[in-house]
Parts: sequence; structure tokens; C-alpha cells
Amino acid sequence: MTPPSGAPSRILVVEDLAAKAELARIFLTGLGHEVQVASTASSAFDTARSWQPDGILLDIELPDYNGLELLKNLRDIGVDAVVVVVTATASMELAKQAIRSGAEDYVVKPYNRDRLGVTLRNALDKRALAHARVHLETALVDTRTRLDAAEAQLSRKSYAGFIGASPRMRAVYDTLQGVAASKASVFVTGESGTSKELAAEALHKMSPRAAKQFVPLNCGAIPRDLLESEVFGHVKGSFTGAISDRIGAAKLADGGTLFLDEIGEMPLDMQVKLLRFVQTGTFSPVGSSRLEKVDVRFVCATNRDPLMEVESGRFREDLYYRLYVVPVELPPLRDREQDVLLLARHFLAMFDTEENKGFKGFSRDAEAMLLAYPWPGNVRQLQNVIRNIVVLHNGEMVEAAMIPPPVNRAAGPHYSPRPALAPPPPPPTAPAPGWEPQVSADPHLHEPNSPPPFTPPSPSPSPLPSPIATPSLPTTLSVDPGVEILPLAEMERRMVLAALLRTGSDIPRAAALLQINPSTVYRKVSQWRKEGALPEGFPL
Amino acid sequence: MPIDPGFATELARELPPADFLRVLELFRIDLARLTEEIEAAAAGGRHEEVRRAAHGMAGAAGAVGAATLEATTRVVMRQPDAGMDLVAIAHNIRTLADDTLLNIDRVIAQARSA
Repeated sequence: MTPPSGAPSRILVVEDLAAKAELARIFLTGLGHEVQVASTASSAFDTARSWQPDGILLDIELPDYNGLELLKNLRDIGVDAVVVVVTATASMELAKQAIRSGAEDYVVKPYNRDRLGVTLRNALDKRALAHARVHLETALVDTRTRLDAAEAQLSRKSYAGFIGASPRMRAVYDTLQGVAASKASVFVTGESGTSKELAAEALHKMSPRAAKQFVPLNCGAIPRDLLESEVFGHVKGSFTGAISDRIGAAKLADGGTLFLDEIGEMPLDMQVKLLRFVQTGTFSPVGSSRLEKVDVRFVCATNRDPLMEVESGRFREDLYYRLYVVPVELPPLRDREQDVLLLARHFLAMFDTEENKGFKGFSRDAEAMLLAYPWPGNVRQLQNVIRNIVVLHNGEMVEAAMIPPPVNRAAGPHYSPRPALAPPPPPPTAPAPGWEPQVSADPHLHEPNSPPPFTPPSPSPSPLPSPIATPSLPTTLSVDPGVEILPLAEMERRMVLAALLRTGSDIPRAAALLQINPSTVYRKVSQWRKEGALPEGFPL
Repeated sequence: MPIDPGFATELARELPPADFLRVLELFRIDLARLTEEIEAAAAGGRHEEVRRAAHGMAGAAGAVGAATLEATTRVVMRQPDAGMDLVAIAHNIRTLADDTLLNIDRVIAQARSA
């Protein structure tokens, strides 16, 4: 970078005659510059390369080779010092040739200090301006690139496998991006089907740990007496059936990420062992007293309110504070606005390719119907609905008539944006008997227990005798005067319990059906438990 | 008889005395070397070497205000091979160089006594 006008510069004088070199040195040092002298082209080349001068005062006639050749060689190695050629009147043509070769200016000899100073200063200023312009242009390009990136981020419709451009999902993307590089534990919350495992995988892939393993473990799907072995491994003979040593998820995730899904399902005794592991990074395989140390990043997920779980005594408070360092809340699909359509189009394209059907998109009515439905099963439910449509129908456009129940019940001829009563989600399938790493071609398929959303609502196994309002009721209000009349509080209790039964005691989903906050369900259930108002054997 | 009465006067005005004397001493060395180079090249019939040394001498002479020497060497620089009487040129330049060396000694002595 050329120094600003008037500032001292480093000047290399290339001159083979001692008197002239000394004269130039005296003039230039008198002007405040730092000076070195080279008496041959070769030594000038070496000095310019190592010393990186701001300017070069160059005589053309040099004992070893020509100054013009030196100039070309210097430019070839990236020396961009300002070059002022010293010339006799007789060799002006040579001076012009030097300028064409990259010199900034020339000074005719003999010169005095003022002439040399002005010529050199002008050349340095001209170069400084050129550098400033390049710098500004570079800064402009950089700013434009950043703006483009920011604009792309604001308008992005997908991120690390997620599909969605809603403000709430953009906030999720920002959090994931911000925390990915850290080792801090991340606690992902969200209703079932909101792609919590996808979030965990995204964190891993964007982290410095990406080259190591991402090990997912569904705490709710593993029998409690096997959970410790699944996490920490075991040694041969440590329990019946332990026929050989087995490495656990903790060891597998060494240097990588351990994803503990459904952490709220982990038994309390196992929580104690996990706490010790989280605190120390060490563990002992089942049946071994040998401590192993690993470097693991923890990402946990639950579809419950973790603080409520702590308050209810089902989750250790100390473990909660160890793991709940950076919370990431995945919004339910009903809160993601137009993401429903982005996702629907994504799944339609994906399944259409699989099934080779030729669907191009959705009719306006079909889109309105998809937008009107509250999607209690979230992304997973939407995915299954689209798969159902593609498998069972043909055509270019998905029409409203192709959309299966319960989604099609959300929007009748006079449908409103939100149904008066949310249709029930499909019943959850039973958890797998043992843990296996889950692999899926589509990121939205990652969470287990995927229910088929188009299954018609089955009769509730509820022992409660009273009629329960079902989502199949039309939105147009109809009153049955023969309906059993009960106190409103009792109606409420029965409705909440029915919703819990219908969702397999999944409180967030039950709350979604009832269109109330999950914490309200927790509170009411706790109260009814205290009052003995829960039916005997109620699965909660 | 000394030539160039204005020899080095501008330089003396422009430079501090110590710098002025140092430049003159260096010029003396350059001048002696270049004169010998011209004589050797002329004796060997090497026109281009004579021209190159004359170019150097012209620049150095101009820098210190040795006007006669500068003008003479510039003429030599521009002469084609065919018109060059190398022996005469070498002799002429030797004479001018010796005269200039005397001039240098005189100016140096004056500067030191001042």
C-alpha cells in the first residue's frame, strides 16, 4: 500500500554511478524518505523483493542488464512499487517506453532536490489514489456480497435440510447457525413431528465436529433396563445376554455429537448417570469399573415442556440446567404460515419423483385446505398426507377432492382459516423395541413413530362414557338438544382426558387438539391427580 | 587551465558541506573509472562500450555541473560507429577528465578551507 501524500516512503535508488546514487540518497533522505541503493539490476531485484519499497528511482543503463527488463521482472513477481525512471534528454523515447512498461513517471537528469521530490510525490500520490480506488471497489464488492448474503438469508426458503421461510423458522435458522460452532449443549423442544432430530443433525453438520459421528438415541424407544448399556456400552458377561463387549453411544459419539431424543422419557436413575457423564465427560461401561473419557457435544430433545417436567419431579433439575444451555424451540406447523405450502410442494415433488406420477402443483382450493388445517402431527403428518395423495391419485394438479380426512374436514364450502375444533392427529405407533440409528432419505422423515395422518379417527379407547365431540363435526354449528348436560368443569375434564387418550398421553398434541396451552393441560392433570379425579389406571 | 567556472556551484548551494564534499569525492572515483573504461574500450575498438561509458560519464558530469565534459560525452553517445575516431575520443575525454579532476581538487580545497 502506498503511503498517503506527504508521508515518508521507502525508496530504492537503482544507480550504478556512486556520485549520482549518493546525490539521490541525499535528496531523498532530505525529503524524509527511507532510502536503499542498488548499483546493479540483480541487486535491485533482490532488494525490491525483500524490502518491498514504495517507490523505485530507476536508471535505465545498468551494468548487468537493462532497467526496462528489471522493471518487467519486478512486475512479474508482484512488486508494485511506484517506478520513476531517470533519463537524459537524449533518451526520452526510452523514458516513454518505460512508462508503457509500467513506470509511473520519469525525471530528466540532472535534477535537483525539488524536481525529484515533486516527481516522486506525484507518482506516489497517483499510485495511492489507484490503490484507494481498488480498495474501495473491493470494499464495495464485499459489501454487496454481504448484502446479497443477508438478503438471501432473509428470503431463504430452506436451511440445512429444513424447508420453510416463516419468521419463526428463520429465527430457528439463526439460532442453529449461531450455536453450531460452539460446544454448548442444545436443548431442542417442539411438538412431535416438528423435525427435532433434523435440527440436531443440522447442528452437527455445521459444527467443527462434522467429520465425526452424529449418534442419535431415542430414550423413549429403549427399554429402561437396556438404556444404560445403549448409552455407555457394556462388557461381556455384565448381564444376561451380554455375550460380547459392546460400545455404547457415548463412545461412538466421541469427538462428535450425541443426540438424546425424548430425553424426558429417561428414567430418573439413568438421569443420575447421565448427569455424571455430562459433568465429567467420563463414564464406565456396564459391568466395568474402567473409566473412559470422551469429548461429546450433547443435543437433547423433548416434545414436553422441560421445566414442567422438572417441576413435576420427572426430570432432574441439575441435569436440566446442565443440558438446557441453548434452547431451540421448533414451532408447530400451524404457526409457520406459508411454510405449509413450501413443505407440501417439496414433498409433492419428492413423492412424485418416487411414484412417477406427473403432479405439478396444488389447485388454489387444495392450497387453501392445507393452510386451513392445524396439523397437530406437524411436518410428519403433512408429509404422510402428501404421500397418500400421490400414491392414490393421478393428474397434474392436486385438487381439494384428493385431500384425505381429517385434513379435508377442516375446510368445507364455508371453511374458515382455522377450524372451530381441530381434527385429531393420527394415533401414534408403538415405539420400536430397541434403539437403532435411524436413516432416511428425506430429512423430514427422521423422527420416529410416524403415524399415518389419513387414517380415519378410530373409536376412542377411553373408559369415559360421555359423548366426546369429534373433529368430524361440521364447522356449521348444530345443536343436539338430547345431548347429556353436565357441569362445565366436568365436561372440561372429560374433554381433556379424552384428548390425552386419543394422543397416547402426548400432552402437547392433546393441547393442540384442544387449542389450549400445554401448560394448562399439565396444570389441570396435576390438580386432578391431587384431587383423585383421574380415572384409575389412566396412562399418564 | 580550469574549465567550467560554474562547476559544482549549484550543488554547493543545494547540499550541506559534508554531503557536497562526499559527492565530489565519489564523482572523482566514478570519473577515473569511466575514463579508464573509455580508453580500454577505444583501444580494443569496442564502440558500444565506449558509448555506454560515455553515457555514464555524461550523467555523472551533469549531476555535478561539469558542463563541458557532459556536452562532449553526449556527442560521443550519439555518434555512429562509422564516424567514431575512438583514439581521438579517448584522448579528448582523458584531457577533459583530467581538467575536471583538477577542478574537483580546487573546489574541494576551497570547501575545506571555508
